[in-house]
Amino acid sequence: MDVSNILASHAAKYQSVTVEKETPLDVDAGFLTVTDLTPIDEDSYQSNLEDYLKSTARDGIQALIAALYGLPTQPSPDGALAQLPEPTTKLPRAKPLPKPKPPTKWERFAAAKGIQKRVREKKVWDEERQEWVNRWGKDGKNKEKEEQWIHEVKANADVDHDPVKAARDERTSRVAKNERQRLQNAARAQTAGGEREERKKDIEKTLASTRISTASMGKFDKKLDGEKKLRGVKRKFEATETSVEQEKQASLAVLAKLGSGAKGPRKGKSAGDDVLNVRKAIRTVSKGKGGVALARETHRKGAKGKRGGKR
Amino acid sequence: MLRTVKPRNARSKRALDAREAKEVEDVRTAIFVKGTHTGEVVNGVMKELMALKRPDAISFSKKNTVRPFEDASSLEFWCNKNDATMFLIGQSTKKRPAGLTITRTFDSKVLDMCELGIDKFVSMAEFKTPKSTPGHKPMMHFASELFDTHPRFIQLKSLLMDLFNGEVIESICLPGLEHVISVTLSPAPSLQTANPILGESQDEDLQNLPKVHIRTYTVKLLPSGTRVPRVELTEMGPFIDLSLRRHQDADPEMWKAAMRRPKLKKQDLEKGLGKKRKNMEVDEMGDLRGRVHIAKQDLGKLQTRKMKGLKGVPGEEDGDSQDSEQEEASRRKRKRD
Repeated sequence: MDVSNILASHAAKYQSVTVEKETPLDVDAGFLTVTDLTPIDEDSYQSNLEDYLKSTARDGIQALIAALYGLPTQPSPDGALAQLPEPTTKLPRAKPLPKPKPPTKWERFAAAKGIQKRVREKKVWDEERQEWVNRWGKDGKNKEKEEQWIHEVKANADVDHDPVKAARDERTSRVAKNERQRLQNAARAQTAGGEREERKKDIEKTLASTRISTASMGKFDKKLDGEKKLRGVKRKFEATETSVEQEKQASLAVLAKLGSGAKGPRKGKSAGDDVLNVRKAIRTVSKGKGGVALARETHRKGAKGKRGGKR
Repeated sequence: MLRTVKPRNARSKRALDAREAKEVEDVRTAIFVKGTHTGEVVNGVMKELMALKRPDAISFSKKNTVRPFEDASSLEFWCNKNDATMFLIGQSTKKRPAGLTITRTFDSKVLDMCELGIDKFVSMAEFKTPKSTPGHKPMMHFASELFDTHPRFIQLKSLLMDLFNGEVIESICLPGLEHVISVTLSPAPSLQTANPILGESQDEDLQNLPKVHIRTYTVKLLPSGTRVPRVELTEMGPFIDLSLRRHQDADPEMWKAAMRRPKLKKQDLEKGLGKKRKNMEVDEMGDLRGRVHIAKQDLGKLQTRKMKGLKGVPGEEDGDSQDSEQEEASRRKRKRD
């Protein structure tokens, strides 16, 4: 059975979708643009301008459509949505690049602890009314306590205890706290770019410590022009003769501090500690047992897990 | 702006925040301004281009005296007030009849400009053919090798692309591709290579530059044997013939600042945005298929369930030492005894 005839007639019905050109067309699918870099043919240009322009445009657009139909698609009610790639042509921006904002206090803590940002929905399910209500805003659930028509009051409550006012005050205080924290974050972001100020403070601290690093702790040194006055600690000298009881107390206190080793080796705070209190975190997670016990536990669990599988 | 506006309520604050710089930018809004004298041709061209650019176009109703090449202060003021970053100024003087200037701004200062002279204009109304829906994104087609080599045409291509198709979009509805703006140049016999050594005068250069033909067509997609449809074009829309006049190149410092790209975030890089997407391909049906490579599993070391009842022969067990075997045997012996 010869199907070549049928195939030929079928192919002839549909015209070609391929475009043959000397130089390949530069297709920028991201910007839906195609550039045809073949030089303009002068003869066809002179003879029939419009037709020549139309045919070159047709070829170019055929190549662009072929590229666009080759992209991954997603179905949608209006038709197929093609996922466009990044554009290749570089166009200048209209506004300068935004400067990256320094992270806020919460953002730093969340990054240190590994907390993911979760966006809450505006609607929340109300079991009593069996419908979705706003969490805030018009008829919001956050104003529920104030808008109740009846309130339970404790028997030992004050005479002029106004539960509505109390609820409203609580809400406004929360709003005020949020606003205060937002302003603090903004102020911190504004002055955060001051590396010079941090270095200045560092230098001043070093200078202050050098000024008291002399044999007489800086007391008899002449003050130079421009140096700030040092704040000193006033020493309290006790009387030469104290009672036996007082002396005994003083000596025992010194011994107690020395002997026990309760304070342990003083470790300086490491880099990430201004955001996260590592000591407290370890204590909570290890349930009071300490860092070494925690490490042992996790190591044991890890080893077991490796061997394990289903048993 | 004479004074910075402080937002009084949440709505104005939102409007002000929308004007701030973003990493990925929005479409450039264009302002269409008319100079002191405009002719019928200039008016027609401005109207048609605005129809193609809608809805991101603002048209000034009053005529303004504006000389873009001399004084750019009024442009900067309008840019700040309207939050628009492109200008199309149309004016017609005796020396430069039917002129259209396209201007681009960066950081509310003029970046670059190109003045074009309108030679021929055929309006949309002359073509009794169906038009495309306004608001749909046009496809663009540039035809000539000069768009890659000659600096003035590179600037013109960049300006036109920014005007119509400058927005970075993620996906597009394929049936919504309705019209094409095609920009072609006339053949350039004497302009194969620019000769800076010869020092041609400006006028001579301008006359030798090839003319620009802008044509707009509607696209009809006919079924073909394969998934890709065949394209047929029908004329629609304005036909404009332009010639290049004066221009102003961008200050190299400003251009460098304007071309800065935001650093790709790590997750974007991993998704393959920065480099070629590997192990993913689109098959013939248009579905995205991915490949996952897993290492070969050693079936000898497979950990199965231990069925104690099946532990008949001591030799069958894996990893049992000789000692334990002997022990078992001896234990059994003792039991029997």
